[in-house]
Amino acid sequence: MTDLYLRDRWFEDLPVGEFHVFGSHTFSELEIVEFAETFDPRPESTDPDQARLNHRQGLIASPWLVTAMWMRKMVDYMEVYAQGVNDGRRNGAGVSISDLQWLEPVRPGHTLTYTYEIIAKPDRVIREKWGLIRSRNEAFNQYGNKVMQFEIDILAERRPQESDDLQQQ
Amino acid sequence: MANPSPSDHLESTSIELDKSAIVAFASRFDPQPYHLDADAADQSIFGGLCASGWHIAALATRLVIETLIDNGLPFVEMTAVSQLKWSRPTFVNEQISVRVTLGTSDEESPIANTRSQTLEIEICTGNSAVVATMTATAAIAIEPALAALT
Repeated sequence: MTDLYLRDRWFEDLPVGEFHVFGSHTFSELEIVEFAETFDPRPESTDPDQARLNHRQGLIASPWLVTAMWMRKMVDYMEVYAQGVNDGRRNGAGVSISDLQWLEPVRPGHTLTYTYEIIAKPDRVIREKWGLIRSRNEAFNQYGNKVMQFEIDILAERRPQESDDLQQQ
Repeated sequence: MANPSPSDHLESTSIELDKSAIVAFASRFDPQPYHLDADAADQSIFGGLCASGWHIAALATRLVIETLIDNGLPFVEMTAVSQLKWSRPTFVNEQISVRVTLGTSDEESPIANTRSQTLEIEICTGNSAVVATMTATAAIAIEPALAALT
């Protein structure tokens, strides 16, 4: 089962083509409104009655709510397999994203399923110990339509040199 | 106010990020130790408790929306981000502001009665250090929503 310990693996152990389904989330009207109250407090984004008159003719989730939920689903998914690696040591922070598109509106009651696929390992070494894992991430709604996609580069720790391994033993 | 022309730099107001806001966002969307716990964050790659990058992106977008509307551009929705690069963490009690430069405008847009406007966005702290850069596309209204006319 060791191969399931996603966060316990080194950069070198993560294969291009690895694919995961992080899980699903159903967006409630309340969480859509609460997010908008902080991040887009226009009446047409926070008030269901006003929203009927907006360009989408109804309340929709803020684009960043749709994307932030991807992060939550990823963290939850990875934690299941973390097995004691609690500091995120080997699977670190995001550096940059590209080609982020919100393709269809997400309305109250819609359920999105989030997927992740490793598509490249760019040939870069950052601060001597990190490599980059590039993934393509997508979200599909309950009709099977893709509503969001993006690529992200995330740091992953490179396997220490042999001399370091000996010092640690 | 007259519509701004391309190459104008539009400056936003700023928002302060306190610890409770950083932890509240991270608890909900990005529950990793360096966004939740000061001691764990000190030992992390960031060297201190800092905001989730998604929190910064969402807050910056709020500032972009307000700035465009204040400058006579009827923002409807952000539809794409072709590039977003986080260059430095945002720590507790730092201020966030944005500087927006208008790029190209296109009649094609995924939302009816809007056009597409590209935006070059610099996300800065109070002392003007750039914490992130973002190239985005926003839908801008060319007509009021149809429902508003009925």
